[in-house]
Amino acid sequence: MNARMANDNVVTQALGQIGSCGLFLLQILAAIPRSLRYGRETVRQLWFVGAMSLTIIMTCGLFVGMVLELQLYHVLSMFGSTSMSGTVVAIATYRELGPVVTALLFAGRAGTAITAEIGLMRATDQIAAMELMAVDPLAYVAAPRFLAGLVAMPLLCCVFCALAVFGGHLVGVSWLGIDNGTFWSNMTATVDVWQDIISGVIWKSLAFGAVVALIAVFQGYTAPPTSEGVAYATTRTVVASSIAILALDFVLTAFLM
Amino acid sequence: MSQRKSYAVGTGLFIVLGFAALAYLATQTSSVANRQQGASYIVDAQFENIGQLKERAPVKIAGVRVGQVQSIALVPGKSVADVKLSIDKGYATIPADSVATIFTSGLLGDQYVGIEYGHDKKYVADGGKLALTRSTQPLEEMLSKFFGAGGAADNIGGTYEVTAHFTNVGTLSAGAPVKMAGVPIGQVVSVRAEPAKLDAVATLAIDNRYNQIPDDSAAAVFTSGLIGSQYVAIQPGGSPDMLKNGDEMILTQSAMQLEDLIGKFLVNGSGGGDARKDAGSSTPTAGKH
Repeated sequence: MNARMANDNVVTQALGQIGSCGLFLLQILAAIPRSLRYGRETVRQLWFVGAMSLTIIMTCGLFVGMVLELQLYHVLSMFGSTSMSGTVVAIATYRELGPVVTALLFAGRAGTAITAEIGLMRATDQIAAMELMAVDPLAYVAAPRFLAGLVAMPLLCCVFCALAVFGGHLVGVSWLGIDNGTFWSNMTATVDVWQDIISGVIWKSLAFGAVVALIAVFQGYTAPPTSEGVAYATTRTVVASSIAILALDFVLTAFLM
Repeated sequence: MSQRKSYAVGTGLFIVLGFAALAYLATQTSSVANRQQGASYIVDAQFENIGQLKERAPVKIAGVRVGQVQSIALVPGKSVADVKLSIDKGYATIPADSVATIFTSGLLGDQYVGIEYGHDKKYVADGGKLALTRSTQPLEEMLSKFFGAGGAADNIGGTYEVTAHFTNVGTLSAGAPVKMAGVPIGQVVSVRAEPAKLDAVATLAIDNRYNQIPDDSAAAVFTSGLIGSQYVAIQPGGSPDMLKNGDEMILTQSAMQLEDLIGKFLVNGSGGGDARKDAGSSTPTAGKH
């Protein structure tokens, strides 16, 4: 398949990738009922892609909230409305920065790991061995990782947003001296559960989680079984995920907001 | 096995942490608390103009949130908005003659419904109606009231109408106050172009209490402050005859354009320096600069 693709031009190649990625998604969805037998594997993957990503997500969330608050404070102080800065941090994070940055970090931290792991499994013939042992690699390898990504992303995004608000509070209230009461009351008065948290944080991060996990598993699954091929597939996971996240973000924002 | 168990425990911790973060976002940073209403009752209020009022906007009494806007619909066949207010059962003692008004929080903020208590002994019940309402006030009206020192006169004693022709009314519009000595005595009823004379004719409704205005008084379009709204100022003349309904005011002064004013200001201001330099020459014009 790859030899044939090499002869095609870039457009055909990209279209072919998208098409086979879509078909692969259907295969994974079909394999999900069969993968329920391997629940422990899904939990293990959730640990790897979710819990192991917590450190980077929490650190980045904290700093994103802090820098956002710092910037907003300087701009809003021109209009004497610095007490709204916490609100803007919360809304900007819930609606855009939280899901997008979490998904980008998730692609870099967990997506690459998934691609490299599956790519190496194929390169070392583990997947072929599974097929010989009548273990469906789609159900045992692909679906658990996809499910884990789908579940982990919203949770990570919530943690990211919580830390961003905490970071904003740290800078705004503890450092720059915004009143604690107005900081929170403005935020609670403005942030809307459905508009900001459900359709922002939850739906967006679910969609991004599905996209990143699908691309990561697909790239690993179809990586050429060489060290170079796996390296190239890992790179492509990051590139394709980032483009897909940002493009999908625009579409989702247009639909949800 | 023990390794597997540690995965499970760690993953469980991760999931719990994620949901804790979600709960934190939903309860601590958002308006979920505002949304959780206990028992509430519905009150109708009809407004001529709801402006930017949206569903779920707060309903407030004396600034305290007592409920929210449940639904907004147009009354069939009428250009009136029917707003259903969902008010907390804890605030069940709202007099039936209370006034529902659409307010704006701050100058640019969101709109909400404010209820001002009346004096009725009867309270409005579930499904009841607040008959007295005040619609949203367009910013222009608010500004004109603000700059217009007291706003338009209350036309309790009836009005009489006079017309005045202006070559330029600026941004004068219907509803603008008519003032004499700075006191509102009426308002502009209409401003329209007069095709025959190529000028503008404004119809002024003046309160009947002020029927002692000489008929050679001048009407001028003034601006309140630098960027305020425009109003018609009446400068009394000396004629023994008084203005009557249907009269036309002959002496008028058109609106000053801000551009003209600035132009004059600049010419005069810089003219001082020039005048000394080339004394005796003609007055500097804007064209020289």
